[in-house]
Formats: sequence, structure tokens, C-alpha cells
Amino acid sequence: MLKIKHFIQQSWLLIVSSFCFGLLIAVTNAAWSPRIEQNQKDKLNNLMKTLIADANDFKMVLEAVQIPGRKGRITKTDIYEADDAEGRSIGFAFIASGPGFADKIKLVIAVDGKCEKFFGFDVLSSNETPGFGSKIKEDYYRNQFKGAPAGKLELVRVGKTEKLDSKIVAISGATVSSEAVVKIFNMYIDKVKEKLKAKGLINNGR
Amino acid sequence: MAAESKALNPGLYKQTLLAGLWRENPVFRLLLGMCPTLAVTAAVKPALTMGLSVIFVLICSNIVVSLMRNLLKPHLRILMFTLTIATFVTIADLFLKAFQPVMSETLGPYVPLIIVNCIIICRAEACASKNGLVLSIIDALGMGVGFTFALCVLAGIREILSTGAIWEIKVLPAGFVPWAAMSMPVGAFITLGLLIGLVNKISKKQAKSSCH
Repeated sequence: MLKIKHFIQQSWLLIVSSFCFGLLIAVTNAAWSPRIEQNQKDKLNNLMKTLIADANDFKMVLEAVQIPGRKGRITKTDIYEADDAEGRSIGFAFIASGPGFADKIKLVIAVDGKCEKFFGFDVLSSNETPGFGSKIKEDYYRNQFKGAPAGKLELVRVGKTEKLDSKIVAISGATVSSEAVVKIFNMYIDKVKEKLKAKGLINNGR
Repeated sequence: MAAESKALNPGLYKQTLLAGLWRENPVFRLLLGMCPTLAVTAAVKPALTMGLSVIFVLICSNIVVSLMRNLLKPHLRILMFTLTIATFVTIADLFLKAFQPVMSETLGPYVPLIIVNCIIICRAEACASKNGLVLSIIDALGMGVGFTFALCVLAGIREILSTGAIWEIKVLPAGFVPWAAMSMPVGAFITLGLLIGLVNKISKKQAKSSCH
């Protein structure tokens, strides 16, 4: 009994404060979480809209698709279908992530309705070296993916960037980041195609 | 009695406020909070956002610590400080995610890392746990503004030299070749070192002239 009394005497302030602070955080979180979720949705929608310009609406068609990664690690992603103004499917977009030079790179990748060509990609989040790895966000690099065949891609050190094929020319001084993006594409595309085919969504695409 | 005499001394408020800005500037003189100083000063916008977040957390934590200073048990005080600071950092992080999503993303893990920023725990220990509410708020304000000022100066120099712009507005001529190194960690270390050297030189000069 004395031990409990001693414990309460020593720690009552900590217990009361923990409760009050916890309540304060819970109230703040409850008030702002809808806005935070909306911000995340808006960002994803904006990126998908930039990649598939004709899209009028995006709807999730496949949830938590399992993608086998390096060392047997499984990552999950949702696949969104892009519909035009008449409600026809014109493409698909999904979030893909993988290790970069400094930190995880998170991309939004878009493919056409038949899963034959990439519409391109945009960077959702990355912490690549400013001035070097950060160039994966620049058009010079990103444009190489627009219209490239939706299959395995290959990174080359020299080549023509204007040519739309499976060969992606690395950014000078940022080979690791360039390679990381190509690896992310290669890690996701086959599985995404397989899942879309299995659900009969690819044939519906234009 | 000591607290009362402090409260009655109006010069002390001014002295406390100004100490954080120059004489005890957390970055240039005390060398505290080096992690965000080096990490988020590639541009002025994120540096200012970080500075304002630290001011908010500093003021709130100093208020709470000052109010509970007579109830604090010596062996639990660090735990109480960390709990208080973590609460306000979480609120600041949620605020940025809700109302400044771009800045929140730019600052990344450095906002949650304010929890381990030495300036805040230092002011809680050195000032708020020993002084009244008003003095604690003034101390937090002085230290916070001093920290923000240092971050913005550092970020301004780095942004101009690495992009030729400040606050994303071009200020250097089109022919200027950006120094990419200034936006990288090496640029942060070199600029900070030079600024600390400059501040030390000015301070020594000031001390000499006040002696004479």
C-alpha cells in the first residue's frame, strides 16, 4: 500500500500530463485529419491528372496489390483507373516506391488503357541529392518514359533521349537515382499488368 | 522573493529578449540545434517555416514548464520536458500537414525531429523551470527569433549562391552559374563555419571597444 502511495506521489504529474497531452493531440488530430487526408488525395489526383491529361475521373480498381520487392519484401499499392469525360477507361495509374540514393523514392506511374505504353511518371516524394539526384524530377529525364513500351526498361549511360524505347539514358552525375527509378518501374510493371489482365480490365481499355 | 524581484525588473525582460538574438544566439553563439540548421537551410522558405515551428514549440513548452515548475520532481523533470515538447511538436507537424502540405513535405522528418532540438530542452531547463511565466515567454521568443534569424541568414546566402534567387525571386544576373555545392551539406557546413567566424570576430571587436 505504501509502495502504491509512493508511486502516485512521485508520478501523479506525469500521469495527469500524459492524459491531458494525449487528449490535446487526439482533439487536434480529429480536427485536422480530414484536411490532411484530403491534401494527400488532392496531390495524388493532381499528379495522376498531369500524367493522363484527358482523364476526367479516377477510381480505384484494385486495392492493396502485392508487389514482390528486393529480398522477398512485399509492398502494396492501389491501382487507379482513369476515365475520360464519356466514362471510358483511358489508362491506369499507381504509386510505386523503392530505394533511392539517399532515401525512399515514391513515384506515380501511369500506363495507357491497353498497358502497352507508359504515359510517364511523376515524383510523389524523394530526398535525392539537390542538383544531382533531384534531376529525376526534370523533364529531360521524365520525358524519356513518356511513350516508352510498358515492359522491362533498361538504363544506359549514353544514348538518344528523344528516342522512345525501353532504353533510358541515365542522368549524368546521378546514375544511382536514375537506376533507382528504372528499377522501381521494372519491379512494378509486370505485376500490375498481370493483375489488371486477371481482372479483365486491360481489354476494356482503349 | 527572487522571482518577484526578477518580475519587477523591466530591464531584465529586454535583456532576456535581446540575449537570444545576439549575445546568446542559439545557432551562432551556443551552437545548439545544429541538425535543422544544416539540414533545412538550402532555401529561405523551409528555413522560415522551421524557425516559426520552433518559436511555437518553444513558447508553448516554456509556458507549460513554467506553470508546472513548482510541481516538478527533479528526477522526472527531463521526462516531463520531453513529453511537453513532443506534444507541441506533434501539433506543429499536424498543422503543417493540414495547412502547408508542400512545406511539410519539404521539411520531411525535420519537423518531428524538433522534439530532440537541444534549444527547446535547454530553455525549459535553464529558464522556464526556474522563472515565472512572463520571463519564460520572453526568453522563448528571444531564443526562437534568434534561431529563426540565424536560419534565414544561412538559407539566404545558400539559396542565392545555389540558385541565383532568393524566396524564389531571381536576384543575380542570368549569366550567373549556380554553385550546386551550396545546396548540398558541404555548402551548409562551409557557410555556417564562415558565419560563426564572422559573429565571433564582431563579438570580440564589441567586447574590446566596451573594455576601452
